[in-house]
Amino acid sequence: MTANYTLIDGSKLIVESLVQSGVESFVSYPITPANWINQYASQRFPTMAFAPDEITVAQWIAGLSSAGKLSATATSFPGLALMVESLNMSFMMELPMIIVVVQRLGPSTGSATVGAQGDLLLLNSLISGGYNIPVFSISNITDCWKVTEKAVHAAVELRTPVVLLTSKEMVMTSRSIDLALLPELKKAQYDYYKDSKPYVPYAANDKLVPPFLPLTSNEHQVRINSSTHDDSGTIKKATKAALGNTIRLHNKIQRRMNEFLIYEHDEDKDKNILIVSYDITGESTREAVKQLRNSGLNVSALYLKTIIPFPKELMTIINAYENVIYAEENLTGLLVKMIYGNNPPNNVSKVNRIGAMISPLEIIKETERCLQAC
Amino acid sequence: MSSSMLIDKNSPYCPGCGHQSITLGLAKALELLNYDPLDVIVASDIGCCGLIDPMLACHTIHGLHGRACALAAGISIAIDNPKKKVIAIQGDGGATIGIAHLLEAARRNFNLTLIVNNNQIYGMTGGQFSGLSNETFQNDHGLVDAARPFDIVEIAHKAGANYSSRIIAKGDIAEKLKAALSTKGFSLIEILEVCPSYGIQKYSDIEQLGYLEKSFVNAFNPFTLQATSQKPFVTREHSSEAAQFKHKLEKNIKIILAGSAGEGIQSAAELFAKAAMYSGLHVTKKGDYPITVGTGFSVSELIFSPEEIYYTGINEPDIVLVISQNGFDYVKNRIGEKTSIVVDNAVRHDQTNIALSYDLKAIFGKKNAAICSIGLWILMNEPFPFAAFERAVKESKHGEKLSVVLDKTQTIFDELKLHA
Ligand code: SF4
Ligand SMILES: [Mg+2]
Repeated sequence: MTANYTLIDGSKLIVESLVQSGVESFVSYPITPANWINQYASQRFPTMAFAPDEITVAQWIAGLSSAGKLSATATSFPGLALMVESLNMSFMMELPMIIVVVQRLGPSTGSATVGAQGDLLLLNSLISGGYNIPVFSISNITDCWKVTEKAVHAAVELRTPVVLLTSKEMVMTSRSIDLALLPELKKAQYDYYKDSKPYVPYAANDKLVPPFLPLTSNEHQVRINSSTHDDSGTIKKATKAALGNTIRLHNKIQRRMNEFLIYEHDEDKDKNILIVSYDITGESTREAVKQLRNSGLNVSALYLKTIIPFPKELMTIINAYENVIYAEENLTGLLVKMIYGNNPPNNVSKVNRIGAMISPLEIIKETERCLQAC
Repeated sequence: MSSSMLIDKNSPYCPGCGHQSITLGLAKALELLNYDPLDVIVASDIGCCGLIDPMLACHTIHGLHGRACALAAGISIAIDNPKKKVIAIQGDGGATIGIAHLLEAARRNFNLTLIVNNNQIYGMTGGQFSGLSNETFQNDHGLVDAARPFDIVEIAHKAGANYSSRIIAKGDIAEKLKAALSTKGFSLIEILEVCPSYGIQKYSDIEQLGYLEKSFVNAFNPFTLQATSQKPFVTREHSSEAAQFKHKLEKNIKIILAGSAGEGIQSAAELFAKAAMYSGLHVTKKGDYPITVGTGFSVSELIFSPEEIYYTGINEPDIVLVISQNGFDYVKNRIGEKTSIVVDNAVRHDQTNIALSYDLKAIFGKKNAAICSIGLWILMNEPFPFAAFERAVKESKHGEKLSVVLDKTQTIFDELKLHA
């Protein structure tokens, strides 16, 4: 077998996948470690704009998306923090868009060139009131291609901002890959309003998502609104119809995200130990699982990709195991907290660290400890 | 007044509010300019003035406090159609919190009109001062903010707006609005008005505060999108390089190339990685350097493996190729007992596992020492053929020049072998 490798980094694959999945415009503001994505985007997107700050970024992508040019940006925690109010706006307006969040070491400005997995709980609670915007996580280089496509499709089909969660080591490391093995991507398809009757902008169908029309429509008046509104798209105090619309925003995500469920369950023969990981720690987990199996141990692994809202299906998988190890590059175990709250069950253990990727050896040691304990 | 721009003439504002005159004036101006309602998009801010949406027959988008101008800018970037008109409406409060957005809109001359309804106060929150409140204006609590207000008309002009003006919302303002609305590029119009509930009660009071109508023009190019190459980075048919050489590795090797900024460390590592790929190896590569890329250490970490590589970290390298002191100092703590080292003679160190110490920089110069050290290491250890590295080097930007370096590397290696 001859290998056919190209040396490529995750940033480039993400940008290319965004374009091939149907994203038409990109707005950037520089921030390490998202700069490579921003740089590649500036060569690749037909519509490219450079904003003077991240609040402006979030507003411009909302403007672009509302006018029908599906939009994306890439940032890291400090930029994401500035975007929070605007992302709430776009969630309420039901504007599709992709925010690539490249995690780095915090708190605050932390270390711009050191990776981390520190933003999961912020993302899980990003929307005031406990609503979710979908979050997808990239667990290896081919996910930069495939998960990106899924994120774009979810954004368009559910009419919502979507976060594509990754981290420094994932997007700033080059790898040899065989490009011919990457699957072909499909462009996300809008459900446009096609009726001749007046358009009721937020009248949702049985799929809980209103058909879309851009603000450039020549056929119908379009109203988009960030404040509490009923299906007319005009501002309303907490009327029954307006609150019903707001509740629908919750329901559409919770009920339909199973259409966008992706994960990898690498199952060994018994249900003794499961190692759960996402983002960059997925790579350490893969290596650890390989070595553990080479030394004759049975371990399974779960790589999370659809991560917020946390899928029920994955809970079923996790609960079938006697012991579960969660590996993530942060101090306190954000994923564990997201799944179980402050009191994880006794069969849950954690591998955490900050300042560097978790090494396979750390996961191996914890697995061996677990195996001995039971 | 019958109007195709208005679908609901009932005012949502307090009786006598200036916003009503402005809404009527705007609708009339758009009609005089013969706009089809579906060619007009109004982005409205938070504040009383943002209650305008239901009155209008055009497209409306109601966003956040202070951001209407930025939201409208995003819309205008998407639209390449001179028939369409994008308008943002803010109050003096919104223009204060969002002042950066109007500067950016003016600087780039986005195709949009920003209307700033200035009634001296935040109406919706109970009459607080804004950055546009006049220093002699007394609010309904009898307070005065002595700071001078921003003159956003002049600020917008200086920032590049093709049109900026200040008017007073007294009488029919449609004609005055027309000038702003028909500008190509960015136009800002600040409209002084009354707020019977908290602000100025009578239009004569506005004049007493010293406001004069004025307007400025610039003739900058309106915003247009910059062309991008749009060339795909990846196609599935993309010419991946077939491995043409055979490697001899049985397990992975972890290599650190350690030098300083300006020594071509990152590009040498890239060629090294390609050579490994041309030999059928899996490769990972990452750079490590200070934020100030032009100074200090420059390090590249490489893993070559016959099997797929997952974890890309290197705790203890198998090989360290040291080009300069900065690089050595940065990586020395990771050097282990089994690490093999190739090092430039000029580097001070206390290491014993030296595979080779040589005058790399003295002979090859600062820029070529990394290539030479990689070449020597390949020749000494033969993980894959030297020809694979030669191919990678030849295909690179400075291929011809660097090929000479490789020839010399080969000669040095042959001499070393003789001596050994
Ligand atoms: S509070 Fe003032 S600005 Fe607001 S509607 Fe009433 S009069 Fe108009
Ligand atoms: Mg005001």
